[in-house]
Amino acid sequence: MASSEHSDSDDGMDEFMDKFKTQRYKNAFSENNWKEEFDKIPMFMKKAPEEINPQEYPELACLQSIIHDEDRPPEEQAKSLKDEGNAYFKEKNYQKAVVAYTAGLKKKCVDQDLNVILLTNRAASHFHLGNMRSALNDATAAKKLKPDHLKALVRGAQCCVELRNFSEAMQWCDEGLKVYPTDAKLRELRAAADKHRRAAERDARKAKSKEKKLHGEKEALLSAIKARGIKLLQPAKPPQNGSDSEDEDERSSAAIAELSLDGLSSQEVTGAQVCLDEEGSLHWPVLFLYPEHQQSDFISAFCEKNCFIDHLAVMFEELPPWDADRKYLPQNLQIYFEDEQKETLYQVDPEISLLKILQHKRYFVKAGTPSFIVLVKGSSYWKQFLSGRKINGL
Amino acid sequence: MLSDSEAAELLSFLTPSTRPDVKGRATEYILGLSGHRDGCRFLQSKPDLIVALFVLTSDPSIAIVKDCYHIFINLSADETLHQVLVKDVKVLPVLFKNLLDPEYPFSDQICTILSNLTRHEKTCKTVFKELQEEVGLAQLVQIFCTEGYNKKAKLHYLGPLLSNLTQLPEARNYLMDKDRCVVQRLLPFTQYEASVVRRGGVIGTLRNCCFDYAHHEWLLSDAVDILPFLLLPLAGPEELTEEENEGLPVDLQYLPEDKKREGDPDIRKMLLETLLLLTATKAGRQTLKEKNVYPIMREFHRWEKDVHVTAACEKLVQVLIGDEPEEGMENLMEVEIPKDVEEKLKEADAKEREELEKDREVKTKPNDSPPLICAGTIRISYFVSYQSRN
Repeated sequence: MASSEHSDSDDGMDEFMDKFKTQRYKNAFSENNWKEEFDKIPMFMKKAPEEINPQEYPELACLQSIIHDEDRPPEEQAKSLKDEGNAYFKEKNYQKAVVAYTAGLKKKCVDQDLNVILLTNRAASHFHLGNMRSALNDATAAKKLKPDHLKALVRGAQCCVELRNFSEAMQWCDEGLKVYPTDAKLRELRAAADKHRRAAERDARKAKSKEKKLHGEKEALLSAIKARGIKLLQPAKPPQNGSDSEDEDERSSAAIAELSLDGLSSQEVTGAQVCLDEEGSLHWPVLFLYPEHQQSDFISAFCEKNCFIDHLAVMFEELPPWDADRKYLPQNLQIYFEDEQKETLYQVDPEISLLKILQHKRYFVKAGTPSFIVLVKGSSYWKQFLSGRKINGL
Repeated sequence: MLSDSEAAELLSFLTPSTRPDVKGRATEYILGLSGHRDGCRFLQSKPDLIVALFVLTSDPSIAIVKDCYHIFINLSADETLHQVLVKDVKVLPVLFKNLLDPEYPFSDQICTILSNLTRHEKTCKTVFKELQEEVGLAQLVQIFCTEGYNKKAKLHYLGPLLSNLTQLPEARNYLMDKDRCVVQRLLPFTQYEASVVRRGGVIGTLRNCCFDYAHHEWLLSDAVDILPFLLLPLAGPEELTEEENEGLPVDLQYLPEDKKREGDPDIRKMLLETLLLLTATKAGRQTLKEKNVYPIMREFHRWEKDVHVTAACEKLVQVLIGDEPEEGMENLMEVEIPKDVEEKLKEADAKEREELEKDREVKTKPNDSPPLICAGTIRISYFVSYQSRN
């Protein structure tokens, strides 16, 4: 600092410099928070504050009002707003960039090149925000003003790709390639869009082929049921998928829809459905009801060739916990089904196949799940249950 | 033939101001002349007549213009007239200008004429040079690929024109310019159902392009992706296993039950030849093997009834399932074949053709493809379409 060698200089420099040893500099930064104060000076700011409070940042507020002075011509204002938007864009503050560009466009200045840039830049901002529709709108508007604006063309194509509108993306690319036949970005975009488009077509074909297969399986199932003369109880409510089903077999597909709807609406909610095995036998989900104890058992796949006694023997090998009286032994059990319409109970021979029962002229499969009532022969509940009812024996 | 004075009289009838009925008779007569070789040769000796006829293509009467265009189609089908047409009558600039006009009603006739003019290399070179100067091949492709460019003309014959042009390396290089998007636009047309001419022209073009094995890697890459477009016309509705399906190019997966194969056997043969060309390099062979081309060929072979096409299919299959050639021979197009082996191959090939010919009517089709392996470098023989006289 002070030079000790030239203590008696003429210009008073030494005295001036010596003052610093004792006097404080006026308007100096405070020692403690000089860093914060440093950042408040517009010239040294690294980052502009989000909101400019004129009390805190008087210089900034001043600068702002100069920039956004309404008296300046619209072109200048729009240009400033464009620059502002660009600055926000650089900081990745895309929301603010959009605001700035929008304000610039609102000035409606006659310089179309400037408007095209504002639109294209706003499109880019929207793109980075994920607002593809808005970005596409802006790119389209820019293209309308200036059909050979490369950035607008590229952006438009990119938006279409993001929106999965691949054919439109290719159209944008082709429009661009007419003007810029050797542009690499357009070429790459076109190839990418084409690849996606063809993959999407493949996916559609795959889905259609699966649907067809599924439909075929459902058809086979329904016709197998019909061929056996098994009657399905149609529910009171009308089919819900009327508009989706194909015209040719609306009726059968509606019936299948009901079948699956009903199967799923069964109280067991297992999603189990009747199915056809490789040998052409049907396997049914079957409910066994034990009204005495308000219990039930669910067999998810009861082969039509099997008979009840086969299942009962296995199910009641160990007596269920709810059977307090220990009386539900296979040989004691009697099986019935109910004909709701005629309010009649029909007894079922446990030694005949499920198929034969289902084919009974008064048996209706309800909700896609055949159900049967199981009682213990001779028990008091049995007497009570059967009294006063019409019964058809074996 | 006509005497000089008769020819002069005829010439006087061919002015725009002549009475329409006289004009009409004159052009009709010349149309008749142009229908056979002697008539054409006579006309060749009288370039004034041809110039006058060309002027009449702008005549207000549609009937006259139509006749004139037919005359030019016939004249252009005769190679000896090419020089006269191009150098003396200078038809090209006018033809190109009209071709670009989306309203011009005779663009199809123009395409046929240009197609005829490009059959043989000499005039083809001239046409290509002028084409590049006046229109540009890229623009020609653009017009060709724009549906409904001309409401009054289908422009299908631009297909054969393109395939003729690609007998020239300069045309092929332009078409396969990596920095532009030109050949890619042609690919969807390999399945264009509405016109066999357009379809055949496009496939002929692609076949010619595949003679340049330097471009194979690019053609097979995502930038162009030529393979699916060559396979789709040959693929059928037969169900393949899940495994086979998954390995196929995307466009060939899960084809619907009503998928039809290409109906024209010559086109099917061209497609197979193009695929065979793509197996010339090791990388190409690898790509075709990886993309499950073999199952497609297997099903195709079961379906195909034409012996010539089946033979082409078998050649391809041999490469696909055969062992890799020894070191030094991986590029089939560059293999040096010893003289005696070459002789035997030629003999075998000739014998095969003989046997096949017994089953098939001989059609006049010039420039049939030679066997793939020939002495030294491959003998280039491009697909050039044949335009018959009207």
